[in-house]
Amino acid sequence: MSELSSPQKDQVFTATDVGNVDSVLKELRKIVGETNCTASRHIRYAYSYDLSFVKPKAPDYVVMAETVEQVQGLLRFANKEKIPVVPYTAGTNIGGLTIPERGGILLDLKKMNKIVDIDSEAHVAVIEPGVSHAKLADALYKHKLRFGWPVGPPSASVLACAISHGIGGLNAKYGLNSQEITSMEVVLPTGELVRVGSCAIRHDAWHSCLPMPQLDGLFKGWLGSTGVVTKIGISVHPIPPLLKVFTVSCDNVEDMYSYMLNLSNYEMCDDLTAVSWWLAQVPIPYPFKTKPDDAPEWFSFATTTSWTEKEREARTEIWETVFEEEQKKNTSIKRTVYPEEALKGRTQLPSQVVGSTKNYCKQGGAGISWPGTFTPAKVWAPVYNKWKEILIGHNLSPSVRMSMYRGVHYGMLRAMIPFNKQSAEETENARHAIVECLKVDLDSGGIPYKPPIDFATEINKRANPGYLDLLRRMKKFLDPNDIMNPGKLGI
Amino acid sequence: MDWKIAELKELEDKIWRCTACGTCKIAYDYGPPPTFGEICPAGTEFGFEGMMASKGKIAFARGILSGELPWDDELLEAIYKCTVCAGCQNQCQLDHKPFIPEIIEAMRRKAVEDGVGPMPLHKNLLQSMKNYNNPYQGPRRVRTDWTRPFKKAGKPIKDINKEPAPVLFFVGCTGAFNTAARAVPTATASIFQKLGMDFGILGENEICCGSTAMRVGDSEEFKRVATKNLETFKWAHDERGVKTIVSSCAGCYRAIKKDYSLSSEYDKIMEGIEVIHTADYLNRLYKEGKLKFKGELPWKVTYHDPCHTGRHLNKFIIDHEGKQLWKGAYLDVDQSECLYEQPRDLLKAIPGVEFVEMPRNRANAFCCGGGGGVMTGFGEWATKNASLRVQEGMDTGADRMVSICPFCHFNLNEGSKRIGGQVKVHDLTELIDKVLVGSNDD
Repeated sequence: MSELSSPQKDQVFTATDVGNVDSVLKELRKIVGETNCTASRHIRYAYSYDLSFVKPKAPDYVVMAETVEQVQGLLRFANKEKIPVVPYTAGTNIGGLTIPERGGILLDLKKMNKIVDIDSEAHVAVIEPGVSHAKLADALYKHKLRFGWPVGPPSASVLACAISHGIGGLNAKYGLNSQEITSMEVVLPTGELVRVGSCAIRHDAWHSCLPMPQLDGLFKGWLGSTGVVTKIGISVHPIPPLLKVFTVSCDNVEDMYSYMLNLSNYEMCDDLTAVSWWLAQVPIPYPFKTKPDDAPEWFSFATTTSWTEKEREARTEIWETVFEEEQKKNTSIKRTVYPEEALKGRTQLPSQVVGSTKNYCKQGGAGISWPGTFTPAKVWAPVYNKWKEILIGHNLSPSVRMSMYRGVHYGMLRAMIPFNKQSAEETENARHAIVECLKVDLDSGGIPYKPPIDFATEINKRANPGYLDLLRRMKKFLDPNDIMNPGKLGI
Repeated sequence: MDWKIAELKELEDKIWRCTACGTCKIAYDYGPPPTFGEICPAGTEFGFEGMMASKGKIAFARGILSGELPWDDELLEAIYKCTVCAGCQNQCQLDHKPFIPEIIEAMRRKAVEDGVGPMPLHKNLLQSMKNYNNPYQGPRRVRTDWTRPFKKAGKPIKDINKEPAPVLFFVGCTGAFNTAARAVPTATASIFQKLGMDFGILGENEICCGSTAMRVGDSEEFKRVATKNLETFKWAHDERGVKTIVSSCAGCYRAIKKDYSLSSEYDKIMEGIEVIHTADYLNRLYKEGKLKFKGELPWKVTYHDPCHTGRHLNKFIIDHEGKQLWKGAYLDVDQSECLYEQPRDLLKAIPGVEFVEMPRNRANAFCCGGGGGVMTGFGEWATKNASLRVQEGMDTGADRMVSICPFCHFNLNEGSKRIGGQVKVHDLTELIDKVLVGSNDD
């Protein structure tokens, strides 16, 4: 099987000669059934690219599993034959995470789409990988419950987003969606089924990962390179009936940071986000367009929810205090009306409008990528100012978002960069700009999330050798034949 | 007569406007409450990303254009395993949205031009159109078989070839030749007679609207029949005083309203002629107080929106000059021509009918599974898909499902049989005919 494992460097697309791989297909059919696997060129082609600047590469086979047992059977077979396996659900990440670097089997999990349980008393949901945000939103709403819906397509996978440290609309309150995972069921690359968290001790207890060793870290943020997660428990939350969104604008990033830091100290927002003028446009101007002089450079929305009018009034009172304090600092902060469609796209989640990337890459033409990072808020301003220089230098809009997570504990800083994917030059230009931005952020203490390989390379250059060694050992321990989404970690 | 039917290459820029974001894959509305449903029949059945909604079809289109996907049997089959229901189009928000069904059909046209398409069973259908002017291999004389009971009852239907009438009832091949769907023209004509309308049919001289040929990619055959039909319409208007063409078939209606407008002569020929679907026509009369009902139909009824009277009638607002956003930007959709409310209004007006809605309805309706040549090309899958839709209807507690398309009527009934036939599927005209007070009843 060496021809399947060899890297397809710079290869746009090469179809595999099906005649040579019949024996593999035969085995796959035994595991998942005839209609759930294929080596057809056109099917593989459709899995070869995504929204990002990552060069298309096709898998050699596509397999759809419907049960945990099938996933186990597949991984046992792949491990024995040393065939790469790339777990896939919706393919909507913008880091090329499911583009197979070394061919092999693309394991499409969208048919494993059961909502196993919604515990409306304990506020825990147990889901399979194929459950979309739209499906879960529909089901949870019947219990008047919600989750931190990300700014992504409604068809995207809740599980994939959560295990990849995805973000969502409740991050200011509860942190990353990965921090909402309570328990996990995973098939290891060698085919064994393991459970971590409370469900490991009692099969139907999905309430937490505590107080045992938190082994869930072995499977979160690994880009599907340590196993196939077949179930997760997640914390879900009641929907307070009253929504109040506070919006401000200002002329520079320093003033916005000051306001957000101040407000975050009260830990009262579901979401506290600021976007640069370019990201507040619908869509992001492509190529770069100069901001009108009289337009503020930053807009912020602070989403709050309350159970009673009195509670809402109390939140309003706090916000007014913060606002006054910021004004007294002689900053450029102003009350503002946030652009309606942009606000809708960021509060009415999951959102078709934003999810379809209309806001992001519609003007660019099919391409979208990012330097997406978790960055301490105190370095947002210098990083943003540098990013602005780099991006404008590449004729791209500095369309940047900053969000506070779990109060002031950490922040998200990212630029959404559309580009014209029909043009190889423009795609390459975007990739260069994004990687340059990333280097600046890394050197300021930021950490990229859902990183494409270009990012992983930059991360590893800066990483503590002991960390990298541990990473390698853990990967080797869990995936002795390096079959799981190989090549993504840059190690 | 010139026809502006796009080649795949001409749509390349639109094809590159797809980001592969996957919003097209499911029916979703924010709410509250939010709603979710599967939307793509092919995606539901076959699952692989390439078969799923426009995202997959666009991938195929890119590969065909770039030469990375040379034709083979499997690719050919994959581009025909799509009902062209436009469900994906309804979800998409990007600039290629207005062109999604066009892109899918342009791939099929390329397959036909390249000599590999359509599917073998479609070839029979197209040969039948060439031989008989209908896709059912039915001799001309059979086209009027459904009118015999009217003649026998002393109420013959006017032949517009012989006598003038202001209303031309364009029957359509499915209603005329598909015996199970004959209930549709029969009920329509019965209603028209009860209403005392002066209408006629083209009888044996009616030919196929060309919808099927267009859907499977044979634009030459489509152009042949469409040109002939447009000439007939002009003649009927000038020589027989036809001012209104009424269609009970969603496919014919869509073809005449939309596909025929690709002709350079359309506006000139159709000047002074209104094309209207029966559901819309009857709803107008109902609103004017001209439909009177007697008795009751004690049925619990749900309604299935045909794609051709719903999403396919969307009008997309595009910034052609780039004045508001940029050249070619998709701005908005105008659904005012979609027949969503008219059939519902009529159903709710029928005494005794309890109307219940399926979760997926109107622009988010799940296709019956019969469109886009699927019923001919992949009959078993079409029936299986229809059974999913019928099951959705049954889940509402309804005992009847109503539609306004003979294709849906036939296919959904087949689907119902497949799962035990607990729901009977009717055309809306059948229900109205049962309770309509006729001029003879007064």
